[in-house]
Amino acid sequence: MMDTSIVEVINVTREVAWLPWAVQYFFLIGLSVGGVLLSLPGYAFAHEDWRKLGRIALLVALTCGLAAPVSLLSDLHQPGRFWHFYVVLRPTSWMWWGSIIIPFYVTGLLVYGWACFREELQEQGRVDSRLAALYRLAALGGGRDDRLIRYAGLVVLTGAALVALYTGTEVAVVRARPLWHTPFLPLQFLATALAGATGLVLLLNRLAADGDRDVERVANQLLAGALGAVMLFGGLWLALGLFDLERTHADALASVAGSEAWRVTAVWAVAATAVPFVIAVAKPVGTGLLTGLIAVHGAWMFRWTVFIGGQTVPKTGAGFYEYALPAGPDGLLGIVGTAGLWLFLLLAITAVLPTPRRAAPGLLYPIAAE
Amino acid sequence: MDQSRRNFCLGFGAATVGAATLSPAPAEAVAAREGGDPAHRWGMVVDVRKCVGCQACTVACIMENDVPENSFRTIVSTYEVTEQGRSGTYMLPRLCNHCEDPPCIPVCPTGATFQREDGIVVVDNTVCVGCAYCVQACPYDARFINHETQTADKCTFCVHRVEAGLLPACVETCVGGARIFGDLKDPDSTVSKLVRERDPKVLKPEQGTQPRVFYIGLDPKFQGKVDGTPTLWRPSPQPHADAYAGKENA
Repeated sequence: MMDTSIVEVINVTREVAWLPWAVQYFFLIGLSVGGVLLSLPGYAFAHEDWRKLGRIALLVALTCGLAAPVSLLSDLHQPGRFWHFYVVLRPTSWMWWGSIIIPFYVTGLLVYGWACFREELQEQGRVDSRLAALYRLAALGGGRDDRLIRYAGLVVLTGAALVALYTGTEVAVVRARPLWHTPFLPLQFLATALAGATGLVLLLNRLAADGDRDVERVANQLLAGALGAVMLFGGLWLALGLFDLERTHADALASVAGSEAWRVTAVWAVAATAVPFVIAVAKPVGTGLLTGLIAVHGAWMFRWTVFIGGQTVPKTGAGFYEYALPAGPDGLLGIVGTAGLWLFLLLAITAVLPTPRRAAPGLLYPIAAE
Repeated sequence: MDQSRRNFCLGFGAATVGAATLSPAPAEAVAAREGGDPAHRWGMVVDVRKCVGCQACTVACIMENDVPENSFRTIVSTYEVTEQGRSGTYMLPRLCNHCEDPPCIPVCPTGATFQREDGIVVVDNTVCVGCAYCVQACPYDARFINHETQTADKCTFCVHRVEAGLLPACVETCVGGARIFGDLKDPDSTVSKLVRERDPKVLKPEQGTQPRVFYIGLDPKFQGKVDGTPTLWRPSPQPHADAYAGKENA
């Protein structure tokens, strides 16, 4: 057995080229897709039991879906040139497909959101207030229209499916990065997005709605299901790699297995999935803030690990690159800024459409269906 | 004889006969090529046995191409290798491989990066949006974001020099004659002969990229991601010291 040791003396460190902005984008767009899916039973299928949960999910879908493209644009090093995507045909590039899919999805989401909220806009328009005329204008002289919601829901569902497909595939096709180049990655993105969206529904149920216990119970059950899927995919990913059953997964595991930091990350990820799963199953009521927070954290952490962690694995050099989060726009400021934009959108939407739903001032009777 | 610097002339041997050992690019890749002279296919052979690790190529490239600080289009990766108690130094000049099937091109969402008819992969930095998808897709870590132009940047084989009948700056400056540049479509060129006769290796052949930068004397341990101790850019010297001590005891 020949004993060889190699010490790298001179090499280049390639810095992270997809910045924390990209993490924010994939996180927010994933949560938005999850929010759309969770809103469909209550709105597109008009199941009244699901209406309250669906309304919170719709807030998740809209706030995250509108903030996401901003962070994606910021991830471009030449954001002012974004229109270059739209003057060429580049069907070999999943990112180019993304540039077509994102406006389709966001437009569909806005129409769907409007169709779902039209009933509330109409109600606000009946209130004796200076803004009533604006509400009536926004409602376009109509109210709840289940057919319209269903059609808009179909469009936004198509958009959401395309977003899930393209965001996952865009990363999974990068053969040069073994950690990304696995067939499981798009499924893992989707499952963690569903868990994150359900987690945010649980948080907003407390913080931006009336803290309904039925919503909390159902959302915790859904969260347990999503986290179960995360664990299933994660377990299969690990098994395929560990037992060398499938080449790409074995390569993916091998690319990080030697690192202590990555092992700690793996343990953390398992805990961030298993702990909220156990809590959500054992005590689905009264725990929503905790399980929701951990689930949102888990969805974000998965993307941070895949993108920032994945880029610290050198393609040719030895070991791992160091990464330190910069304080400026390429780092912390980008993360905080995106979060701020999301918060602003939440405040704006819930200011226009008061949440929890309540009788508008001047109305003598509570709003219908409450 | 140092064919790399003395006998290079752009006008010679514009033969269209492909080198026998080189398989052609997929049809769609060829179809997408634009600009450049299809009579040539530029390539490089690096004889790592002749490389002394002086980094003259690294510096020449930076000066020639105005590469920003802390960025490199080419660099000589240098390793200390200890085998059976004996230590030596291994040098591996790295640059864009100007692959026959470059994975950086299909991912580009704007068409800013493309391959010329002569095989050189370039970036139009007036079109590039700096999305860095190509940076991710390159298996050789050959691309980076240039923070002065905020676009993708990479080795161009010094296309501006080649078009003027000159050698790439790194080849021109190479002290040991380790870098040999030429036309792979010219069966009499030095690079064609070396590729034909010396069976040079390429980096990461399993990626299917068909690099057109070949290496003579490429140790398989350095063909892919190097399994070793990273020492550069570490904030603390401790890991290096530990690894060194461990190695000496081994």
